[in-house]
Amino acid sequence: MNYHFGRGWTRWSPYLLLLPGILFYFVIALGPSLATTVYSFTDATGIKGATVNWVGLANYKEFLLMGQASKDNLSALGRTLVFCFFVTTIQFGLGLLVAMIVNQNLKGRNFFRTLYFMPIILGAVIQGLVWSLFLYPLGGPMAKFLALFGARSEFLGGPPFVAFAWVIAIQIWANMGTTMIIFLAGLQTIPSELYEAARIDGANPWQVFSNVTWPLLTPSVNTNLTLNIIGSLQAWQLFLILIGYRNGTQVLGYLIYATGFGQTSGSVTSSFRQGYAASASIILFLLVLVLGMTTNYILQRREARIME
Amino acid sequence: MSKKLYLVLTIVVALSMLLTACGAKATPTSQPPAAEKVTLRVLVHQNPPMVAFMEEFNKKFQEKYPNITVDMAVVNANELSTVTQTRLTANDVDVVDMFGFANGAQPYMKQVDPPNWQQLIDAGLLMDLTGQPFLKNYDASAIQDAGTYNGKVYEINLGRVSYSGIYYNKDLFTANNVKVPTTWTELVTACETFKTAGIPCMTAGGKDGWPIFVGAYGLLGSIYPDQAALVEGLWTGSIKWNDANSLVMWERMQVYARDMMEEGASGIAGDAAPGRFASGAVAMFPGGTWYGPAIDAAQPAFKWGYIPFPGSDNADDNKYLFGKYDQGWVVAAKTPNKDAALLYLTEFSDPANYQAFVDAVGFIPTQPTAKLSTGIGAEVAPYLANFRVGYEQYWIAPKGAGQFANPWATYFKPFGTDDDPKTLADKVQGDLQAGLNAVK
Repeated sequence: MNYHFGRGWTRWSPYLLLLPGILFYFVIALGPSLATTVYSFTDATGIKGATVNWVGLANYKEFLLMGQASKDNLSALGRTLVFCFFVTTIQFGLGLLVAMIVNQNLKGRNFFRTLYFMPIILGAVIQGLVWSLFLYPLGGPMAKFLALFGARSEFLGGPPFVAFAWVIAIQIWANMGTTMIIFLAGLQTIPSELYEAARIDGANPWQVFSNVTWPLLTPSVNTNLTLNIIGSLQAWQLFLILIGYRNGTQVLGYLIYATGFGQTSGSVTSSFRQGYAASASIILFLLVLVLGMTTNYILQRREARIME
Repeated sequence: MSKKLYLVLTIVVALSMLLTACGAKATPTSQPPAAEKVTLRVLVHQNPPMVAFMEEFNKKFQEKYPNITVDMAVVNANELSTVTQTRLTANDVDVVDMFGFANGAQPYMKQVDPPNWQQLIDAGLLMDLTGQPFLKNYDASAIQDAGTYNGKVYEINLGRVSYSGIYYNKDLFTANNVKVPTTWTELVTACETFKTAGIPCMTAGGKDGWPIFVGAYGLLGSIYPDQAALVEGLWTGSIKWNDANSLVMWERMQVYARDMMEEGASGIAGDAAPGRFASGAVAMFPGGTWYGPAIDAAQPAFKWGYIPFPGSDNADDNKYLFGKYDQGWVVAAKTPNKDAALLYLTEFSDPANYQAFVDAVGFIPTQPTAKLSTGIGAEVAPYLANFRVGYEQYWIAPKGAGQFANPWATYFKPFGTDDDPKTLADKVQGDLQAGLNAVK
């Protein structure tokens, strides 16, 4: 038998080296996930020392079936899917386009790569504040610009669908840098000989893209689509910072936060309901799981087809 | 060789620890020990005049007690309950500024969750302050109504506020020859006059949402002056959000949101609104009494008045100010700095310090010896006999109620999507009824 790491105790060295990572994963990721699943069947408040009772499926029934609130929850779920669709498709398309542009041998391309990636570094709070100030309706830059045309900048505090659309736009602005970088890395792995061969064969730019670039970007496409879908389904920070808890704008991620930390009524005296919020988290997890696995299945089949 | 080295090092470390321990015991006890250094962790919400006062108070407190360092964290009001919960749970805070020691579940309410302050007490996270000497400085009624649970005192309430009034710009009223309104019709006429003169009628912090609907609580109060009865009526079905009285309220709320609020109000943050009003550009500003000091701080020479929201056409219905017991101090039950925390509350409760506090924040005092000496105090003094606890302090929504089950002006355009009072009234009642049916 050939042992890569030798015989005796050294044979176990790879497992020992993996152990810290595995332990870290269990403590930081798997443990809390399992705890959330258990919490979802309780009336936990998240307050240390408070009595926790087993309530079975009551939280799930309340979330999905109880009164008008359950219909509002399902609306939030639908809104989450709408948010996911627009963020994923636009961020994916824009990220690819920008990556292709900054992959050209242009003057100042490193500056533009940095510029497009910069919002990622800022973090959600700064991202939200920047846009709140930019869109400030009484003297903000956008308000001054729109005033030239007799229009107003009441976006984030205006009708819910307008505020919601702006959060989509800002989410894309905030995260497009990651999509761009992944595509850029993918583009740089494509051998230049393939482009030269295509051009010698007389291919036009579209044919070069569709027959060379696009198929060879498959790993980047798969990564970006998966990350964009999961990231947008779980989004909530920008909703909190930009518009707060407002009817007609909540997505599931924010609803979970607001419910868990007693912010749903807009009152400072509402209750902490982390057991109930945990049940909503599990529903969101199932949504991410189904969408993520379906996407992965489709993408893997596509990749296999291309490799044939 | 290395094993020997480890052995020697281990022995040295063990001996050092032993000698240190012996040395500690050997410290003479006849001398009083120097006061222990303590870092007192205090959590407050963002309210600029209050934060400014607290910073000054902390400075003086630290000068008086040099062994205590106050580490004060300031968070947005919307985040206070979240941060309170997490920091109390982590035992990472000693003294907390807590809102809304109210909203207790009433016998007619079914399947409601206890409010967060009650959850914190039940979990044993708040200290029982019963019998502390500084409690005697406060009104017994304030301690009872806004600090007591199951016969024990957990909070000292720092003052009452009204949120159902309107600030008005005296110079603009004089310059445009507008009489201070005492009825709804007069208010509508005043707004039309200002708008005709190119002056926005009202402003408020629409970006935060709540300043718009809280600003209209006076309108709600003029229609339903007994707000405890209103809440009971809504729960028991004797009052509906789409009955004739309520429909009048919705119609007026639409006028308030659509016609009275200035363009762009939806983008103004709650704590920026007083500055906007103090700039003198707007005629009126519906809001709580806590804004008074912020207006003065923004423009000390600015002349303003404060009146109850005239929501009814009968002036007698508009004489009430609705409000609540505002913030109070609670102490973490498991604080390792109990003595310092109680000292902090004792110092704060000293009548001179408390007077400075209410002067700074514009609260209606809960210490009987304190005077209403602020500008806002002088404005509300004539209405104090008609002060009533407002709807928000009584209401707990039934589980299953929809997101529209509230009397909020923000449902109307431009803040929301609704533009028909009757349709909205039916929707609001429908959302409430769904909850009432679900908990039957």
